Amino acid sequence: MTQPANRRAPGVLYAALRVFDLSLSDMLWSRRTIFMALIVGLPVMLSVVIRVLLELGASNIRVNQTAVAGPTIFGLMIWGFFVRFTVPVLGVFYGTSLIADEVDDKTITYLFTRPIPRGAVVLGKYLAYMACATFVVLPSVLLVWLLIVPAGGSLGASFLDLLKDLLLIAIGLAVYGAVFSWVGAVFKRPLLFGLMFVFGWEVLVMALPGYMKRFSVAYYLQGLVPHAMPNDSAVSLVLSIFRETPPLAESLLMMALIEVAFLYLAARAVSKKEYVLEQ
Amino acid sequence: MTQRTRYFMFGSALVMIVGLATGLVAFYNSGLPLRASSSGPAELAYVPADATGVAFADVRTIMNSDFRQRLRQVLPSGEEKDKLFAETGIDLERDIDTVVAGLTGSDPLKGGALVLVRGRFNDPMIETLAVQHGATVETYKGKRLILMTEHAETTGTVEPQAPTGESHTGAIAFLEPGLLALGEVSAVRRGIDVSATHEDVTKNEELMKFVSEMQGSGDAWVVGRVDAISNQTGVPQQVKDQMAAVQWMAASVRINTGVSGQIRAEARDDQSAEQLRAVVNGALAAGRLVSGNDPKATAMLNAIQPTGVGKTVGISFTLPPEIIDIINGVAGLNNLHSDKPATGGSSR
Repeated sequence: MTQPANRRAPGVLYAALRVFDLSLSDMLWSRRTIFMALIVGLPVMLSVVIRVLLELGASNIRVNQTAVAGPTIFGLMIWGFFVRFTVPVLGVFYGTSLIADEVDDKTITYLFTRPIPRGAVVLGKYLAYMACATFVVLPSVLLVWLLIVPAGGSLGASFLDLLKDLLLIAIGLAVYGAVFSWVGAVFKRPLLFGLMFVFGWEVLVMALPGYMKRFSVAYYLQGLVPHAMPNDSAVSLVLSIFRETPPLAESLLMMALIEVAFLYLAARAVSKKEYVLEQ
Repeated sequence: MTQRTRYFMFGSALVMIVGLATGLVAFYNSGLPLRASSSGPAELAYVPADATGVAFADVRTIMNSDFRQRLRQVLPSGEEKDKLFAETGIDLERDIDTVVAGLTGSDPLKGGALVLVRGRFNDPMIETLAVQHGATVETYKGKRLILMTEHAETTGTVEPQAPTGESHTGAIAFLEPGLLALGEVSAVRRGIDVSATHEDVTKNEELMKFVSEMQGSGDAWVVGRVDAISNQTGVPQQVKDQMAAVQWMAASVRINTGVSGQIRAEARDDQSAEQLRAVVNGALAAGRLVSGNDPKATAMLNAIQPTGVGKTVGISFTLPPEIIDIINGVAGLNNLHSDKPATGGSSR
């Protein structure tokens, strides 16, 4: 049977949505998601333990020998578990694997032989990553909030901060995902590069005075966090001295630029690159 | 998309919807459990719309707190409290539940501060005692007003005087059962007027935005325009210069065994806020460096957390019960020194 002569190739958005539909289940039920569930499950478990202890009669929760209320603990968790760890780590693990996994599994050929733009493959997989990450991470944040904040705090009073937290975590996942999807499309060992960027470069430039911190995602992301930065270590002390918070508009604008630019670069890199599958 | 994926997405979305709906309900009810309406305490109906500041204190909770009991051992009982009891029969510690104060700046025509006290009062006794101390009584728009006239204490006699100028005459008004208004007579009368015309502070959207945010965040809170405070005479020029960058300030404290709270300032622009944050961060960092390994100082500094984004600059703090013990110790030491007879060495 022959194809109709006037049948046109699907557009980028339609093709991206098809790839999204195809990739979402694979991504959601992969070993990476078990890893992600463990990462985001830890603060929930900790919150349950704290709540149970308080219900059993513990008088208060102490951090650094200081009694702290629920909203403060929630703020510390947002910093320690989510902003500084979960968001960049998930960005690295998922972002770098969007294309690299298809290459490693030698299945990228099947995607590239379809009559769709190569850029749509990147976009579709990126959307699947975003759906996967947000539908796992954000409920975890909400559960932690519901468990922790009522311990000495008010849900109503901290609701606006929660909305900001959810938004900034979603933005962080989007921006880190875009950056590392480009890394995954370009570099041979993207995971190593990604971990070095997150735990090496970003930590270093954030602790140094000067303009270098502007070449990091953390600088713009951490500027959006509505909670107090924890000061629990020497690094935190240095960070608090040299900390600069960019204006809200600048943070949002720069993160939007980073996301669009790196997503475009990733799509372009995949479109131009000749993938040689090792036998 | 497989069936399993759909179930997962549905479950996840359900958690988010339930969580956000709970938060939304709590937000509009100013915190769970339900406390008060988001439009602030009902007493705000007597505070004029042009108020520059509003303060609230849940006196009952504060008086019953462990913190207050500890502090009571340190602080002497106030003479003003005893004077109020002698003149009006109001016992600050037992009779009052909440206090709301509205400030309208220093304009004498607007009357200054109006304090609205809710509690259990014996109205006839208050009136009788006040009259015995030289007050006069009048009715203004259906509300009983006690005008507090000055008396000559030096002679030991009570000489009732007619109010010579309203701006200098204090007044107590019985607004509702269990609700008193205290302040300059012009402020009290204005409060009665605005409650009738409904031109109250809840119409002031700018101020109410901060009131809504502070309400439910603590047992006591205060919100105010900073320029109104800094324009007051008596504020040092250096303080005025520093405060010029700040437009609004809000603070709240929650009191139980210790005290936790937050102070929030809204700067005029992002740059001013950034400078303020730098000052706060620098001061805290310097404090940590200076405090060295002193665990008490470190604990106190760790209890202070700077926060804020955009035009907002904030500090949250926790004063644990141990700090009260430290204050107790210092106060005890001071008392010990003051009780000692002055010797040649100590007088120098």
